Amino acid sequence: MRGISRHWKLVLPLGVLVVLATVVVSTSFAASKAKTVRVAIMTDCKGGFGFGYEPDIGGAQAAFANYANGKVKNKKKPSAGMTGIRVGNTDVQIVGYGCGDDTVPTAVKETRRLMEQLKADVMVGPLSGDEAVYVANYAKKHPNKTFIIGTAGSQDPTLQIAPKNMFRYHGDGAQWNAGIGEIAYKKLGWRKAAIIMDDYSFGWTSGAGIIADFCAIGGKITKRVFPPLNTTDYSSYVQQLPAPGTVDGTFWVVGGTGTSAALTAYEQANGALKPSQHIGNLFFAFLGADKVVAPKVAGSYLGGFGTAPGLKTGQAKIYEKVVARWYPGLNGGNYADGFVYNYYNAAWALIQGLTVSNGQTGAALHAKMPKTLRSGYEVSDKGSVKLDANRQAIQDQYPLQLVKNADGSVAPVVIGYVPNVNQSFGGLFTKNSPAPGRTQPKCVKKKLPWQGKIKVVKNGIIYPTVIK
Amino acid sequence: MTRGPKAVTERAIGFGGLALALIAPLVFNAYWVDVILTQALIVGIAAASMIFLAAYGGMISLSQTMLMGAAGFMIGNMVTKGGAGGETKGLTLGWDPTLALVLALAGTTLLGVLLGAVAARSTGIYFLMITLTYSVVGFYFVGQVTVVSGFSGIANINSYTPPFVGDIVENRNRLYYIALGVAIAVYAFIRFVIRTPFGLSLQGLRDEPVRMSSLGYAVPLHRTLAFGLAAFMAALAGILLVWWQGQIAPGDIGLQATIDLLIVAVIGGLTRVEGAWVGALAFIVINNYIRDSWLTDLLDTVRIGGSFQTIIGLIFLVIVIVSPDGLMGAWDRLWGLRSGTDSGEGPSVTAIPAGEKLV
Amino acid sequence: MSDRIAQLDIRRLAPKLVVGLLVGFALLYIVVLANPTPDIGGNWRTTTFGSAIDDWQSFTRTLLNGLTFAGLLFIVASGFSLIFGLMRVVNMAHGSFYLLGGYIAYEVQQKMTGSGYSIAGVEVNTWEWVFPALIAAASIALVGLVVQQVFLRWNQGQELRQALITIAISVIIADQILAHFNEGIASSVTWPGWTNRLVELPLLGIQYSLARLIVLFLGLAVGLGLWIWLYRTRTGMVIRAGVDDRQMTSALGVNIQLTFAIAFVVGSSLAAFGGAVGASQGAVAAGQDGQWLLNSLVVVIIGGLGSLLGAAAGSLLYGLVFSFSAIYLPTIGGNCCTQYSIVFTFVLLALVLAFRPQGLFGRFS
Repeated sequence: MRGISRHWKLVLPLGVLVVLATVVVSTSFAASKAKTVRVAIMTDCKGGFGFGYEPDIGGAQAAFANYANGKVKNKKKPSAGMTGIRVGNTDVQIVGYGCGDDTVPTAVKETRRLMEQLKADVMVGPLSGDEAVYVANYAKKHPNKTFIIGTAGSQDPTLQIAPKNMFRYHGDGAQWNAGIGEIAYKKLGWRKAAIIMDDYSFGWTSGAGIIADFCAIGGKITKRVFPPLNTTDYSSYVQQLPAPGTVDGTFWVVGGTGTSAALTAYEQANGALKPSQHIGNLFFAFLGADKVVAPKVAGSYLGGFGTAPGLKTGQAKIYEKVVARWYPGLNGGNYADGFVYNYYNAAWALIQGLTVSNGQTGAALHAKMPKTLRSGYEVSDKGSVKLDANRQAIQDQYPLQLVKNADGSVAPVVIGYVPNVNQSFGGLFTKNSPAPGRTQPKCVKKKLPWQGKIKVVKNGIIYPTVIK
Repeated sequence: MTRGPKAVTERAIGFGGLALALIAPLVFNAYWVDVILTQALIVGIAAASMIFLAAYGGMISLSQTMLMGAAGFMIGNMVTKGGAGGETKGLTLGWDPTLALVLALAGTTLLGVLLGAVAARSTGIYFLMITLTYSVVGFYFVGQVTVVSGFSGIANINSYTPPFVGDIVENRNRLYYIALGVAIAVYAFIRFVIRTPFGLSLQGLRDEPVRMSSLGYAVPLHRTLAFGLAAFMAALAGILLVWWQGQIAPGDIGLQATIDLLIVAVIGGLTRVEGAWVGALAFIVINNYIRDSWLTDLLDTVRIGGSFQTIIGLIFLVIVIVSPDGLMGAWDRLWGLRSGTDSGEGPSVTAIPAGEKLV
Repeated sequence: MSDRIAQLDIRRLAPKLVVGLLVGFALLYIVVLANPTPDIGGNWRTTTFGSAIDDWQSFTRTLLNGLTFAGLLFIVASGFSLIFGLMRVVNMAHGSFYLLGGYIAYEVQQKMTGSGYSIAGVEVNTWEWVFPALIAAASIALVGLVVQQVFLRWNQGQELRQALITIAISVIIADQILAHFNEGIASSVTWPGWTNRLVELPLLGIQYSLARLIVLFLGLAVGLGLWIWLYRTRTGMVIRAGVDDRQMTSALGVNIQLTFAIAFVVGSSLAAFGGAVGASQGAVAAGQDGQWLLNSLVVVIIGGLGSLLGAAAGSLLYGLVFSFSAIYLPTIGGNCCTQYSIVFTFVLLALVLAFRPQGLFGRFS
């Protein structure tokens, strides 16, 4: 007995080591032999976007299940895996899931683990803007691998860096806000507005879309406020915003975790929030914000996430049915969320590319990746997203309004249809233009391709009339 | 002095490991060399700087990650080029890489001396928290001051290396050997320093600060200098880090990264410098491989839920509980059990040579 | 001889002089020097609202914002400080306790109001806020007790080892929160309806949020409660004795283990109660555990570890510098930006550390 108590301090760590060694050895020899296309799904499993882990994987795998014969292992837990994927005569294997945490260093390690250790040929991912910037730089140095961005809002990956082996079948953060400035100008009569945005690249990019759109039609941004990321108490930043009455309204580009806190601070400084005085970006309604943020600002308009909740087109219904079939209840049954939708489209584009390339990867696959992709919520061009010369989506956007349901919950409803939104905003954002930042873009009046063409959407049906 | 069987075994393992490290590119696949081993060497250097301070100076510094990042941000700002098709973040000064390398090392060492001078007056848990504060200040500084970085960080730093380093993007083995060389140099340097009069009095100060102070030793000065030396080692690790990952971002010096380095040092063992690389390798391998293992599925089976992060937390918990001085401590105990006496060299108090007084 | 004394005095006085001058300049700047921002351009004297004389109401608001934020900081950090002061445990899981407490309060409030989403304040009564907060505090008290009894009791005095153990626990809690609580990017608790309004502050001539004043009130109440407990009850006396000299207290026949357990339980439940308040002021979200660990660390480093007064002073200084630096740092141009306020907040830390490493009210042990 005494012997054990004397030795346990030694035996236990050695035991742990033995277990670890077994694990390492068993996993490192588990590599497959047959020639298959190896696909990795890169997403976040920690930090602010950690909750997106299952929805992202589920979105991608729903496409594999529906169009490539994939067998779902666990309908409730997509990360349990998928087997039996075949595209034409080629086997496709999902070799691993990346676990980012919304920071660059983790993206570095996870990308290399997936692409080099697990030897993936294709990455579906990553999630979030800064990670995508890193992956784009990585892609440039690994021209034989293919990268299809999962969901990322930064411009750089397809505007500045633009590696030939990287594809994005959804809009960037600025594109997602196309049309919302015009709606503020026309439907709410805003002429002067303030904007509060997170002080990092996604905040700047998302805000850039709003500023560009609002100024293009003749609005003026009189104040920009930049709360730092992870601010605990927003009162001092909200205080810098012009009081209600001195401007027509305020644009909110405060992301994710901070949205509710920032709005509460505004309410506590200026009294109840008037829906007509506030417009948000996707963080007013998506990624679970419909439960936290939306009830505070019911009635407000917001930019979108490239999706159209409740759009009544055949294509949209098919998309939602497909996801519901393989992963019922994924993302709380909210399939019109950008995370699910964009990962789904990325995987579907890959399946089409592999079909045409006959299972070839590398340059052959890059050449055969679809230039247009029929996506659930697309309407223009016969329902297809088009890629531009930088392999970046030209996509339809849907400005939304938060509407209170009978049971008291609040949900986003599509109120407008903005056709064919491109990344450059009519030449405002180019490879050599200054990247969105604290002072960029400047507020300038100009003609945008979609200006005056936003169509009215009611009850999920697009009407031919334009919003006046 | 005769060497006991433990010292002989350790030498054998050490030289064996070194020999294996030298031929690693022949033995291991590219991923292991480029990612696991290179990363372990780099993280190990940073951990060694932490262990150096802890084992011989009695100071547990949580600033090493930040100092590592400081060197990375400095060289990143200095070497990258802006303009059309260039980088968009940072100062993009476009200086000569060799000059930038020297300036980054010198600048970080200077920063270390300055920070050390302030922190040196505190001890124990206070010292730990002050150095943690430095880390946090550094993190917010590079995150907030967008002129030098912003949260996205600076990319493509490894495209600009000094001529004697060459192209490390294409020749990844080259970076491995550079990291190996620096790691060996840092190890040898620490072994050398602790035997110098400065090192001996540093260890004296660790154990008997009051007595040493009354003997006329300048306690804060010694500690400040030690902190500066550790900053230099961290800076080396930082340069290698940006060459390895190509870029640097505030996340590299955030709270998570700071705690990770502490975990590496603790897993290895805060009492012996060799532990730095043992801990780094163990940490990286655990992080890399545990998630695809059956251990993670086990969580679902027993209905606890959660991901491999829970497993990593549990492993770390077990290590800290069972062997507070890490794997090296467990190794020392193994010999203690066998022979009944502890023959470890360890950083035990070494007598201070009479009349010897630095500074 | 007298020369040497004079020299010593100068060396000792110099830091105080420097700090005094800096603080004096900051006050002068805020009260008089600052100018409102023009539409274009600006210089070192231009700030968002100008000086306190230019815009008295904004100054008062900024002051109140700082004070009320300090209330929340104090609730959380006083627990951290209590645990450290008595047991020398740097509880690195304090932020995890905060986050877990916030989520538990959210879940309980959801169960009570039964809506599945954050509802408007008017639909929440006082009990539907108080009960979830109490449940959160009680649950984390239990968690704290388990952590203390199972993981920390047997290795007292090994400060680093205990800190590392709590780090491991925080890693596990963070992952478990993600697995069991996190349904979206954030969750928020709703204040009771009657707090959701602005009240007229008679002497100051401004309207201010009642909810924020309640946060300040809760902070004061916690402070007062702790003070009475520590200075007017027997348990408190034992705890203070334990802070001063653990061995001696133990030798006097006091059951120090019981005292430790009580202190840890109280400290943990304060973190959870702070989590409930924080979740009502904004939201709880994954990743905030690290944020609140830092907040607690900053407060106690400024104020001094293990001192109730220090925690109060640290919270006040941190809260005030945070809110004033956001408003009163120079800005350039009409529509842009105060930029470096967070960095500035940490300059405060550097100043304190440089001249008083043990914190304002701390003692070296």
